[in-house]
Amino acid sequence: MGVVAHDLRVARGAFRLAVDELVADTSGLAILGPNGAGKTTLLQALAGLLPAQGKIERPARVATLFAVPALLRGSVAWNLAEPLCRLGLEDVQSRVDEALAAVGLAELAEHDVRRLSTGQRQRVGIARVLALRPAALLLDEPFANVDAESRPALRAAVRRAVTRDGSTVILATTNLADVAALCAQAVVLRVGTVTRTLATAALAGADDPYVRALLADR
Amino acid sequence: MLAIAALSVAVSAAGTALAAVLAIPGALWIAFGQSPLRRVLLALYTVGLGLPPVAVGLVVAFVLWRSGPLGVLDILYTPGAMIVAQTIVVLPLIGTLAVVALRGIDGTLPAQLAGLGLRARDRYALLAREVAPGLVAATLAGFGRAIAEVGAAQMTGGNIEGQTRVLTTATMLAVGRGEFGEAFGFVAVLIGLVAVASGIALALQARWA
Repeated sequence: MGVVAHDLRVARGAFRLAVDELVADTSGLAILGPNGAGKTTLLQALAGLLPAQGKIERPARVATLFAVPALLRGSVAWNLAEPLCRLGLEDVQSRVDEALAAVGLAELAEHDVRRLSTGQRQRVGIARVLALRPAALLLDEPFANVDAESRPALRAAVRRAVTRDGSTVILATTNLADVAALCAQAVVLRVGTVTRTLATAALAGADDPYVRALLADR
Repeated sequence: MLAIAALSVAVSAAGTALAAVLAIPGALWIAFGQSPLRRVLLALYTVGLGLPPVAVGLVVAFVLWRSGPLGVLDILYTPGAMIVAQTIVVLPLIGTLAVVALRGIDGTLPAQLAGLGLRARDRYALLAREVAPGLVAATLAGFGRAIAEVGAAQMTGGNIEGQTRVLTTATMLAVGRGEFGEAFGFVAVLIGLVAVASGIALALQARWA
């Protein structure tokens, strides 16, 4: 099951977001757009974390990763295991081990999260949502703070998990490589509204000025 | 001596507990709320930090005076009046320190926990676990201030032997009579109690840090 929004309206301070229609399925949807266009607002509204008007259909099990993951006092493994336990999920230990291995943190499982670098915290955030094996996975700039060398492996790890679980990925990003790895569709947001919906394969030929700028910057 | 020290601890612990109960919800609101009025409360906490205990004692004594607005309560010169005054003295300190501690926590944490699909009950439990060390440290600092202040205790308690005499007011009386040995004894016990409170705070921080 995917995520579908109709006549979505979100007000956040002075910012207004208006999206008439948006459809994300298991082929993955990227939300592109410049800073301040409303990518994060759209993602959080789709997740049900912001008050929004309109109709949103989403599966029961949604996991959302914020751009800067807030971790809890404790070890890396505990940060993954605790939400699983509280949600009453089974196979907690194997889920934790698998998710940590996927993001390359198996060796840091017992480390205190406060001793981690920004990029390592980002990986913990990714592992924490992967361990939930959600039906819809909403990711906000998930690889932005990770070093460039590790990004391909992390994208592949997310790709594998999503394919295995049959999840719908929605990805807010400014990085076309993220889009290519995880999403077949892309929407371009501009000051609070969707201007274009494109197949990822067609991005290279798009005449959207923002997409052209992204391509030129690669 | 033992009775005086016990009363000191009891009165200050009660005042501190009351102040924590009153100050912490406000601090949570300042740290995680949305309303612009939060700034007004934070300003009140900050200004309140500088309130001289003797001024608080004066106002509380005036209000509780037999012919004063709340004179019918008839609690002036009782531990009850001292607790009221100490609550007011330490409330701004606990509130301010709690805000500082809470601001060290990511303001998006509640939303992020919701983003993991956790129910409200689990979100609050995890949030409470996260904020507890800072709030406990703020409360222990408040106790240190309450037990060490003399102005409010003197003015609202009256330093009545066996009833409202606490370590600080007993020290002043002893010095007034030239009984320095006795005064040093009271102060030694006072410092010991403050050290115990600080030690507990440090131990908790070491455990949680």
